[in-house]
Amino acid sequence: MTAKLPGKLIVRDFHVFHERTEALRGINLDIQANRILGIIGPAGSGKTTFLRALNRLNDLVPEMHVEGQVLLDGQDIYHPSFDVVSLRKRVGMLFALPVALPMSIFENVVYGPRLSGVRDRVRLNEIVERSLKAAFMWDEVKDRLQMSGLRLSGGQQQRLCLARVLAMEEVEVILLDEPCSGLDPISTAKIEEALTVLKSLYTIILVTNNTKQAARVADNTAFFLTGEMVEYGNTEQIFTVPRDARTNDYVTGRFG
Amino acid sequence: MRIAPKYTQMLAVAVLGGATAFTVVVLLFIIVFVLSKGLPGVSSEFLFSAPKDSGLSGGIFPMLVATFVLPLMAIIIALPLGVGTAVYLTEYTRETRLTRVLRFGTDCLAGIPSIIFGLFGFIFFVVMLKMGWCLLSGCLTLAIMVLPTIIRTAEEAIRSVPNSYREVSYSLGATRWETVLKVVLPNALPGIVTGVMLGIGRSIGETAAVIFTAGSILPRSIPVSVFEPVRTLSVHFYILAREGISNEKAYAAAAVLIITVLLVNLAAYGMMHRFIARRSR
Repeated sequence: MTAKLPGKLIVRDFHVFHERTEALRGINLDIQANRILGIIGPAGSGKTTFLRALNRLNDLVPEMHVEGQVLLDGQDIYHPSFDVVSLRKRVGMLFALPVALPMSIFENVVYGPRLSGVRDRVRLNEIVERSLKAAFMWDEVKDRLQMSGLRLSGGQQQRLCLARVLAMEEVEVILLDEPCSGLDPISTAKIEEALTVLKSLYTIILVTNNTKQAARVADNTAFFLTGEMVEYGNTEQIFTVPRDARTNDYVTGRFG
Repeated sequence: MRIAPKYTQMLAVAVLGGATAFTVVVLLFIIVFVLSKGLPGVSSEFLFSAPKDSGLSGGIFPMLVATFVLPLMAIIIALPLGVGTAVYLTEYTRETRLTRVLRFGTDCLAGIPSIIFGLFGFIFFVVMLKMGWCLLSGCLTLAIMVLPTIIRTAEEAIRSVPNSYREVSYSLGATRWETVLKVVLPNALPGIVTGVMLGIGRSIGETAAVIFTAGSILPRSIPVSVFEPVRTLSVHFYILAREGISNEKAYAAAAVLIITVLLVNLAAYGMMHRFIARRSR
């Protein structure tokens, strides 16, 4: 049983407040290593807020504060002694809109490693090749690494973003916030293929509006609704025999 | 009675086009007028020799040098201060009453007539700090004068950098400072350059603030230290015309001033375009 594996990320009674409104109301969740966790739910259910809480990107929004605990390998990431920079290097993120930084493909990929102080050209070249291969785009761009990342198509940019996360040698968890929402089916398939390969090395959390995508790639699935986690379980069980009526309504497309 | 959209459309085109044409014609008229009166007096001897007989004869070389050096030094002082302030206000502080007061203050400063800055520079640098009329007093005064413009344009430029760039940078483990350095400033650069250009343009043509602080003494040669008084082209032009020394020399100096501003602008935009092209190749 998957439930016996140790949790890579353990979320305990976790609340997020945006000014006075409670965006997340007491989430409890054990996220296992080397699995893909799909998070589904209608707009405004707190999926993205939850995701952004896991690498403390919500810190950038001054009106937000949190209660409860998120443990990464047993350590509370919201504890004052926890270094947020090292957290973000360990917990990488892909956004809904692919954002290539306005610099070359090469410089995009080595953005993280350069911040970590990698200067050696040979090593940077290795990192670029390894990351772009892992994101299934090495062959497409290997001859034009000095081209601006902005000139890539949306699907390519999203894989470039994936490569940029994978380039960080410290990364253990990959958060994806509807990474395929703006992509065509072929680009989507490439991202999904990459994820299923990458889960042997990383812990992956995939927020998606596309329930079919969760059904295709996620090992476990959590259903969020109005800031609460309604149900969490094995993907097959969630999609075939959900315990909660609301989950059933959502996965069968009756609302949301 | 309602006018048919077809006619309002035609009217709009005519009014907007007319406004544009009027502006361009006035501008061109001034430039052509000054150049046609001034250019005949411009020669290499005029450009590269020192003035004689209070400017009645001889050239403008020392003033030309001062016209380049004074704004350049002012910008070198004002740029780090201005951009630093803009970065601090946009990236390091939240929008509070204090930042709004600061912004309002810079807007007010930007609108103050330059002669007030000149007077301040005279009282503070020239008299109080006993620096006398000199290059340094002049460029410090000009730096203070162009600071609000640089702060506000840099702030707008920094604000226009997409927030998603910052989020990506933070999500890859960058600190605030690394994000400013690697993402925010490079992408705000075109806007910052615009602010710098406005500042240079304002200080090259500045007369009132300079005459009180850098002096107006007719120089015999180019300045060799920052504690020497200088006379810029615009001050020179002002004195030539005001004292009725020589209309011909005054127009020649004005023509050189216009061409100088044009060249500085062209150089800056050329540099900026090369920079942008290199980043988006």
